Parts: sequence; C-alpha cells; structure tokens
Amino acid sequence: MAMRQTPLTCSGHTRPVVDLAFSGITPYGYFLISACKDGKPMLRQGDTGDWIGTFLGHKGAVWGATLNNEATKAATAAADFTAKVWDAVTGDEVLTLAHKHIVKSVNFTQDSSCLLTGGNDKIIRIYDLNKPEAEPQEITGHTSAIKKALWCNNDTQILSAADDKTVRLWDRNSTEVVKQLSFDMSVSSMEYIPDGEVLVITYGKTIAFYNALSLDMIKTVDAPASIHSASLHPDKDFFVAGGDDFKLYKFDYGTKEELESYKGHFGPVHCVRFSPDGELYASGSEDGTLRLWQTAVGKTYGLWKCVLPGEFSCVCAFPNHFQSLEFTTGGLQVVETAQG
Amino acid sequence: MSTLVTVLRLPRGPDPNGRGFDPNSTRFVALCPTTISASTETWTDSVEVGEEQRARSALRESFLRTLIAMTNKQVQFHMYERVEVEAKFGASDIDVLNFQVSELQTPIGVQKEALLRAKHRKMLLMTVYDADDPPIELPTDD
Repeated sequence: MAMRQTPLTCSGHTRPVVDLAFSGITPYGYFLISACKDGKPMLRQGDTGDWIGTFLGHKGAVWGATLNNEATKAATAAADFTAKVWDAVTGDEVLTLAHKHIVKSVNFTQDSSCLLTGGNDKIIRIYDLNKPEAEPQEITGHTSAIKKALWCNNDTQILSAADDKTVRLWDRNSTEVVKQLSFDMSVSSMEYIPDGEVLVITYGKTIAFYNALSLDMIKTVDAPASIHSASLHPDKDFFVAGGDDFKLYKFDYGTKEELESYKGHFGPVHCVRFSPDGELYASGSEDGTLRLWQTAVGKTYGLWKCVLPGEFSCVCAFPNHFQSLEFTTGGLQVVETAQG
Repeated sequence: MSTLVTVLRLPRGPDPNGRGFDPNSTRFVALCPTTISASTETWTDSVEVGEEQRARSALRESFLRTLIAMTNKQVQFHMYERVEVEAKFGASDIDVLNFQVSELQTPIGVQKEALLRAKHRKMLLMTVYDADDPPIELPTDD
C-alpha cells in the first residue's frame, strides 16, 4: 500500500515565514530557526518541530536567520536596520549590529568567530565577533540590494546574490570579485553545500546547480511554477523546491525527473531546506507556518511512525477533511492529513 | 488506495506566557551551568550549597561596600582601545550595566554628567584615589 506524505505543521508565527536554517547535528539533536515578518524569530527542535523559544528584540520584520553549527549561537537580519547575535541556549540577545538599511542575510563562519551580513545598502560586511566594537570589513560592488551572502570555500571566500541579477564570488582577504554570474532576472534564493562545493540557485521557474569554486554550471532543472527556494539533499540524490503555487516539489538530482509534488501550504513557499541528516525538509510559507516533510515517506522518524501492513483495520476521515481517525492494533489515533 | 503516514502527535507550539528556552532542559543545564547548583534540578549537596551561598553573599556585600566607598571619589576608567577617562564616581545601576559619573574628562571636553556603559565590556578597571591615599585598582564584577 502506498504511503501518503503527512507534513507536520509548526504554528506560532503570525506573519509570513521568509527564511529558515538548520544547525549542524549536535549532541542534543539538530535545530531549526525561522525568520518571520512578525519580527519574532523562533528556535525549534529540528526533528520534531517542537518550539524551544522565541528571540525577542527586533523591532521590524526579520528577513534572515541562521544558526551556527553547534546551535549555540543564532543570528538574525531585520528590517529595523540591525543584525542581532543571540545566545541560542538562553535566548538572550548578545549583540546588536547597526546597519544603514534593511538587513537581509546573516551567516556565521564554521568556527562562529565571524558574521557575514548583507542587505539593502548593497554592502557585504564581515564582523569579528571577538571584537564587536571594531568596524566591520566592508565589501562593495553590488549595485542593488543584497538578498543573500554566504561563506564558502572554508570561509576563505564569499558568495553573494543581489537584485542586480548577479551572483558574485569574492575573496575574503582582498575583497575583490573572483568570479561573477549574470542572469536575466533576480535570483530568488541561494544555498551553499560545503560538502562537494555545490551552489543551488533559483530564478524564475529554474533551479540551477553550480560548482561553488569555479561557478561553472553543473545543470539546470525547470519546475512547473515560479520557484522561491530549493535545497539539495546531503547525499545529492534529491532536491526539493517550492514557490508560487504553494506546492513542494521533489526531484531526482541525477535524472532531473520530478518525483513528487505535495500540497499543504496555503500560500507561496518562501524557503525550503533539508535537515542536516537528510531525513526531512522544512518549508516556510506566506501562510505563516513551517511544515516538516519526510524524505522517505512512511519511515519512522521524529514524530512520524511507520505502520506496517496489517496493523490497520480502518481509517475514517473527519468531516473537516483535516484529520482522520485510525483504528489500529495499537489503538486509536487522530492523524492530521495533508491536503490534496 | 494510499494510506496516510501516522504521526505520534503534532509539534508543540509556543508558550503564550513566555519566550521559552526552558532553563530545565537538558541542553540548557549542560551548556549554561550555574555555580549555584540549587538553581538546577540536578541533585545537590545542601552543605555545599550553603557554603557557596555564604561565600557569594560575602562577595556581594564587599562589592556593594566598595561601590558606596567610591561615591564622590575621583575615578579613572580604563576602557578598550587604551582609552582612559577620569570622572567623579556617582553610582552604579542595579545590574552594574551603567555607571553614573560627573565631570567626565574626555579628549573632546568635560561632560558635566554622564552615563558610562559597562555592557559588552569584558573587563573594566577603575583606579580609585584621593589626595591622601595611594591609588588602588578595583576590578568590576563584570
């Protein structure tokens, strides 16, 4: 019997979720941070979606959020012209970095010693978190607002995507452009995979994969709708994408074949990311929710339970179409269903 | 016919009454240990806690007495980037985040009244002196 995907809905935000990021795998599991236009980024347990805490302090929409590998620090970028660094264990604000315009992107180095920021003032900044009062190193060149700035190549280089329809690779020390990609339209998202040096870029209906060191194109795949974000599985066998039509798409990376599509969100999907272990992916939407989706549908993981054939005797759907009652040998269960 | 994947429960949502970051969670206890072990849920030795509490009380009292003794004394603040400023010490706020001073001598002039922020400073040294006593260096509880 085929299994149907049951996404887990994480509620709590009151406005669109515009960015999300996972930490690395820590002794306490892995974690997920979500950026929201309600100004209150949230930390969640990555494998269950359980809320851990809300970072309170920003006075405007939060456009970008990230965690360091150990999930001990968080950073956020907001419309209040600041980037903030937080203690991700206590939820306390540690640092406020004033900018001259809306900040859109934040990214830690591997050792969490430096923070990269980028935003509407078109300048990439590097902050030394051990010397927060010192002036940041600035990298100029983009002619429009920066959407995303990421460390790459062992934190020796920086990748940035801006509304000037370019993606640029910079040398951290010289602050010079090493390479540049130009597109016909603005890049909607960018993801960097250190293992294998892969860059995932989305624009229009296209998901494009590049070598992050040379910026040579590996392949492009077209989706049925305009895509806002995509993520490549750690094993590089699948990638997922979401965008304007509210759906999540799963593709085979090798063959470029569309494998599955899932409805569930009630608004455009703004961000999607695979978890560090590849067992699930999280999506954030205009509808204000985050949803967790299984990579291997039906597998026991997190809050999902594998039910073997024969364990079911009956499934009844509730009139609300959102829940069903399952009579199994283990007992009664109310299950939230995916739509469609 | 396809079957829906079973879920054990739904993800827990935010607590409407607080911002979360449960101090009793395993991760918090492991990564943010306090020296007052009684404030955690791990087992405690009541004698050890009592002794620790007494020591902390004595240190707190000593620190408060120092602040009182410094009132209206001439003080030199050693700050980052080798900046040194002199002022007349007024008071500290309850969290020792700000110091109220008068007649603050700065490279660009004398500030009649000022508030010096101690936050985000790893260490702040203040040299307290008056005409009759030699200067003594007092580390702040930062």
